[in-house]
Amino acid sequence: MFQVRYKIPHLKTRISPLKVSLALLTLALLCCLLVTACSKTGQPLEPVSYTVADSTGDWGYPSPYTHYGRGPGYVRMSFLFDTLVWKDASDFVPALAKEWEYISAENAYIFKLRDDVTWHDGVEFTAEDVVFTFNYTKEHPFQWVDSSIVESAEAIDEYTVKLYLSKPYAPFFQDVAGTQPMIPQHIWQNVEEPEKFTTAEAIIGTGPYTLADYSKEHGSYLYKAYDDYYLGKPSVDEIKFVKISAEMIPAALKGGSIDAADIPPEVVSEMEEAGLTIITAPYSWNAKLTINHQKEPLSSKQFRQALAYAIDREALVQITQRGHALAGSPGMIPPTSAWYNPDTPQYEYDQARSKQLLEGLGYEMKDGYFTKGGEELELELIAPADYKEVGQFIKQQLEAVGIKIDFRTLEEKTVDAKVEAWDFDLSIYGHGGLYDPSMLNKVIIGKGFISARYTSNETLNELLENQITEMDQGKRVNIVRQIQELYAEDLPALTLYYPNWYWAHDGSVELFYTNNGIAFGIPIPLNKLAFMQYKPM
Amino acid sequence: MFSIRNLALYLIAMFIILTLNFLLPRMMPGDPLMAIYGEEALVQMTPALKAELVERFALDQPWWQQFAAYLSTLFTGDLGYSYYYNAPALEVILGRLPWTLLLVGTTLIISTFGGIILGIESGWRRSSLQDKSLLTGLMVLGGFPDFFLGILLLIGFGVTWAIFPLAGAITPYSGFTGAALVLDVLHHLFLPVTALILCHVGASYLLTRNTMVTVLKEPYMLTARAKGLSNLVMRYRHAGRNALLPVITRTGIQLGRMITGVLFVEIVFAYPGLGYLTYEALLARDYPVLQGVLLIVAVFVLIANFLVDLSYSKIDPRIRYAH
Repeated sequence: MFQVRYKIPHLKTRISPLKVSLALLTLALLCCLLVTACSKTGQPLEPVSYTVADSTGDWGYPSPYTHYGRGPGYVRMSFLFDTLVWKDASDFVPALAKEWEYISAENAYIFKLRDDVTWHDGVEFTAEDVVFTFNYTKEHPFQWVDSSIVESAEAIDEYTVKLYLSKPYAPFFQDVAGTQPMIPQHIWQNVEEPEKFTTAEAIIGTGPYTLADYSKEHGSYLYKAYDDYYLGKPSVDEIKFVKISAEMIPAALKGGSIDAADIPPEVVSEMEEAGLTIITAPYSWNAKLTINHQKEPLSSKQFRQALAYAIDREALVQITQRGHALAGSPGMIPPTSAWYNPDTPQYEYDQARSKQLLEGLGYEMKDGYFTKGGEELELELIAPADYKEVGQFIKQQLEAVGIKIDFRTLEEKTVDAKVEAWDFDLSIYGHGGLYDPSMLNKVIIGKGFISARYTSNETLNELLENQITEMDQGKRVNIVRQIQELYAEDLPALTLYYPNWYWAHDGSVELFYTNNGIAFGIPIPLNKLAFMQYKPM
Repeated sequence: MFSIRNLALYLIAMFIILTLNFLLPRMMPGDPLMAIYGEEALVQMTPALKAELVERFALDQPWWQQFAAYLSTLFTGDLGYSYYYNAPALEVILGRLPWTLLLVGTTLIISTFGGIILGIESGWRRSSLQDKSLLTGLMVLGGFPDFFLGILLLIGFGVTWAIFPLAGAITPYSGFTGAALVLDVLHHLFLPVTALILCHVGASYLLTRNTMVTVLKEPYMLTARAKGLSNLVMRYRHAGRNALLPVITRTGIQLGRMITGVLFVEIVFAYPGLGYLTYEALLARDYPVLQGVLLIVAVFVLIANFLVDLSYSKIDPRIRYAH
């Protein structure tokens, strides 16, 4: 073999490219170190700034019609736009309206508006803007509010407005007056396509902040305090929303580069040790075992109750949620809610009772499984992959009492489609919104796969209709209590657990969870009132 | 220099890609409008809008008219409308493209040139301790998935020592301008690029080193030595240049692939590029954006191949006579 091995020493160069590239790399590293050092120490005296992070970042342009249809999108919009009323940690508080009155004879609300409110462009806010907003939503429905609830709006004088409802509507404050953002007539009257309205004018509201920047790519928002806000200039000059991957959020909180973020339950104690404040959301979301009550043998109430007795919901929380949840109440409303009925049937874990119910339905135990007419009792359980552990746990528990389960995880949309078409036996599904009981109607008698679509109990149907139109709070509480008892008795679906949700923050702003959630019920502790110097009344 | 035949081949490839992009959503079961626009559209779609879209895509017409309508909307730069982002798909994609190009470009340039230099040096000193340790080290690094190296770097330099930022491509609202802004971008770029380079440099290194070892045995190398040329000239001009061809080919093919190949690294670092966009679009079932990305990547692969073809004849004049 011919090898080029000999070298001519005096010609050998000293500047090896290998060394050059190594030197360049070191230089680059040093440069970066220098930048870090500078950005850490060279910080000038800045206005008070507050940074909130999440892993999605972009929630759309924060105008009423262009933010994405999820809670965080509404929250970003709510810093720019106000509603007639708002909520703090305990109740409704005045916002654009300073006082109000319900006239039951006319089924109408009269709102007295503040007279010191200006839009961000300096124009005065009047009753005409409120009337305009409700008329505008007739033609262009705002995604969070049912525009048929307010039949018509009328300006009595410059600062008084009267809203006529199409029918008595108990959650009017929660769902309409505290959710519908007011938009300026002088800008929106010429807007034909609000979904495509993304100019600087589209974010002119009456809110405590104005938007200085929004970046879709970086998923970041910059808000600046509005000096002429009617509750006084906000105490925090600047709010930033930034995007950080979920795994890095705990490190960013500890390092102090962000002030607040939601955190997974696993890091709660670590965050507490690092001196951060942890706040826990009131329960509003539940995971359910959906039951096909249209189909034998699940159409039998006793059979569904047998399923409930066979599933140990406490153990399910401990094992599948590592204890970071509350065991479900069969009445769906969480035990921590003011609407909760403590007399709701609970179906405490009882295998013997479950077997007894099944035997009462004519089933016989054979080789560890129930049979009827020579056929083995087998049910199909389908769920998206997120519920794999929960599904396996339920399979184990039901098989322990003698119900054979064929458990399969499917792609989420496939599960939804199968449930929608009643092509399933059992399924696992979750939804939020359990703050106001009006949600019960959507998920018990409503349409679509998120609902149990259980309409065969006339009394239950009637109670559900009544709780929406009952304007007397005390009477409504009673109705909702009866609903829970009947629902738990019939069990068209079984609430399994309510997960714990946490936020961690550095305490520089007193973040709090809003009573019944922000606006229509968003479980995020970013209420704009937390950033104000003066709390309303 | 560049033949008509070659150009025709490119056009045919482009046509096939466009046809596939046209056929896929229409072959999916169910409503083609939903397949084209994703289910987010169903929430917002009014009957008037639906009628307008059916007309725009000629969905009630025979397939060849649909195809013509599809091509004509494409040539006006219309890649469809993303109902998730509430913006034209092209706008969404173009917003992300520069960041991916920055990431991919920096990685490819450094890893290719780094790989070539290391390969030439290593091949020249084959069997020496330096050669052996480089060979082992780079092969071990190249064996790791890039996102794994990314996570290690992020935990070490981002979380533990806090030298580098944890996420993103810039510090939002830092108020940096000019040089400080450039440094800020580099600062954010450093970890993801390092992870990618460590993972990718091995390939061009190995390729160069192998060719180098073969080339060094050629008689013309002996001639060069006999002429009394310096080691540097022999190594780079005579041996190295011949070792370049396969590396350039590989880099060209890599360019297109890397745009989506950086997906995992972009997710680890929450880097706002096309890979991360693809991931988000997949989760949201945002078909217009997914198809748009597919089209843009396909176009990039074609352009990259074209550039490789061109640079071949510059690097190796023999190619010019081959046609």
